Amino acid sequence: MKEAFIRAKDLYYTYKEEGQEPVSVLRGLSLEIQKGEYVAILGHNGSGKSTFAKLLNMILEPDSGELWVAGRELTSPELTEDDVYALRREVGMVFQNPDNQLVATIVEEDVAFGPENLGVPSAEIRRRVDEALAAVGMSNFAKSEPHRLSGGQKQRVAIAGIIAMMPNCMIFDESTAMLDPVGRREVVETFEKLNRERGITVITITHYMNEAARADRVIVLDEGKVLMDGKPFEVFARAEELVATGLDVPQCTSLVHALRKKGLVIDGEPVTTEECAEMICRALEEHHGKGNA
Amino acid sequence: MARVTLEHVSYTYEPGTPFAVKALDDVCLTVREGSITGIIGHTGSGKSTMVQLFNGLEKPSEGRILLDGKDIWENPKKMRDIRFRVGLVMQYPEYQLFEETVRADIAFGPRNMGLSEEEISARVAEAAEIVGLTAADLDKSPFDLSGGQKRRAAIAGVMAMRPEVLVLDEPAAGLDPRGRDIILQAVADYGHKTGATVIIVSHSMEDMAVYCDDIVVMAHAKVFLAGSRDEVFAHAEELRSVGLDVPQITHLALLLAARGVRLPKGIYTVEAALRAIENLL
Repeated sequence: MKEAFIRAKDLYYTYKEEGQEPVSVLRGLSLEIQKGEYVAILGHNGSGKSTFAKLLNMILEPDSGELWVAGRELTSPELTEDDVYALRREVGMVFQNPDNQLVATIVEEDVAFGPENLGVPSAEIRRRVDEALAAVGMSNFAKSEPHRLSGGQKQRVAIAGIIAMMPNCMIFDESTAMLDPVGRREVVETFEKLNRERGITVITITHYMNEAARADRVIVLDEGKVLMDGKPFEVFARAEELVATGLDVPQCTSLVHALRKKGLVIDGEPVTTEECAEMICRALEEHHGKGNA
Repeated sequence: MARVTLEHVSYTYEPGTPFAVKALDDVCLTVREGSITGIIGHTGSGKSTMVQLFNGLEKPSEGRILLDGKDIWENPKKMRDIRFRVGLVMQYPEYQLFEETVRADIAFGPRNMGLSEEEISARVAEAAEIVGLTAADLDKSPFDLSGGQKRRAAIAGVMAMRPEVLVLDEPAAGLDPRGRDIILQAVADYGHKTGATVIIVSHSMEDMAVYCDDIVVMAHAKVFLAGSRDEVFAHAEELRSVGLDVPQITHLALLLAARGVRLPKGIYTVEAALRAIENLL
């Protein structure tokens, strides 16, 4: 059997801080993600999404359960420091606030920061930086100062910084939350391209249902466990359960479900707005066709 | 009637240096009394700068800001009164909670206004009710609340000062859909209950379409479009040209219209789309 890139079995994690009630966030989370997948993780605030992401590159360690990432057992007592460094090179994370992630005063120096820390020879760093900036469409800004860029551009520089470390997997923890619609589109299109062209496993954590609908697979967490797991159209078909857990469905999905309740026969579940328009048009034609016959 | 008016307002960061940036450039706009007005715009369009001008946190480089027809900078010594009348909720306001209990935190603003203890507790209770915090929540430490509750407590702290104009910069950022709805509904309720004017800055076209009466679109330091929600969302192509968008459902209605489906203009909620298509069945 092919080994999953990420295998989580019965993970538990509780936040314990002095003088505060402990908060149990992960309660028996189990899931598998294969190499090269494009997965969106949804869940209300506090459902455990970000905690899970932080376990994947060992920012946090689970209280119990088993976690394998890229062939390493992170929960093994034999895990060495070298394993942790290797893991963090393989699993890169992009966070919410673009201003908290850039460290250098020139874009290309920021991108070089990761590989420099890994001890990569300088000619190789040069090659990787150029290539990473090209991959995110920021080559023209190599000499710019990060604080003069837009939010979407800063996030793309943050992504380039990770690509320069040649990861197999990238996690986007609400990386589009602070961006305007164009910035969001830039970031999503960038990681979709990395997934498609380089086979990088992409895990995106988001509150935007429209963004989740673009992934190959959607996992919904609730109370620290997997509530739903499937193709976007399968998950969004369960609109009422999603709303009950504090989430929502894309507006197109809501409309299609409401029209069905009014008796319009619509086949399938739309993922994009264009598909939805196509489906409703066809349904209206059939409806009127029958009416005229 | 105009409650807040910006007259030819410009604002320049680092003026007189090579880094000078004009964040607002000759902006004129009026915010109607009692309206819920949304301000949208791409990153760097000048929205957040504008927010800090409304209650005199920043002074315009040029132009005037009028509250009920009076220049708020006419008598800078009275700025404290302006700040009580125009409440400002910054981005991620929950990071500013600091008291031992939620109750004390919400009471901080009204106490600074020199109100009686009786009046303070009445206002705390009222604000807590609007944002949906219970009496039990009020006795907790702010740190024991969930993220969404913390945000609501911080907003209640400004509401308890009962400002005539409530300005919020991205009040729903980073919250899940239910959390977004709770916050935005509470903000709308505050406006409806007290008759206050509410100004909301947001990136979410879907949220703006549901909660706002009027919308101001900022682009490149200028007002790009302003008007009722219907008037503004009728300009889908222009909105896209400045890095914004229309709600997904409006985009869908436009695609359907392009395919010859006869739909009325101005569809920006799922309910409106449903009614319009139902009429065709």
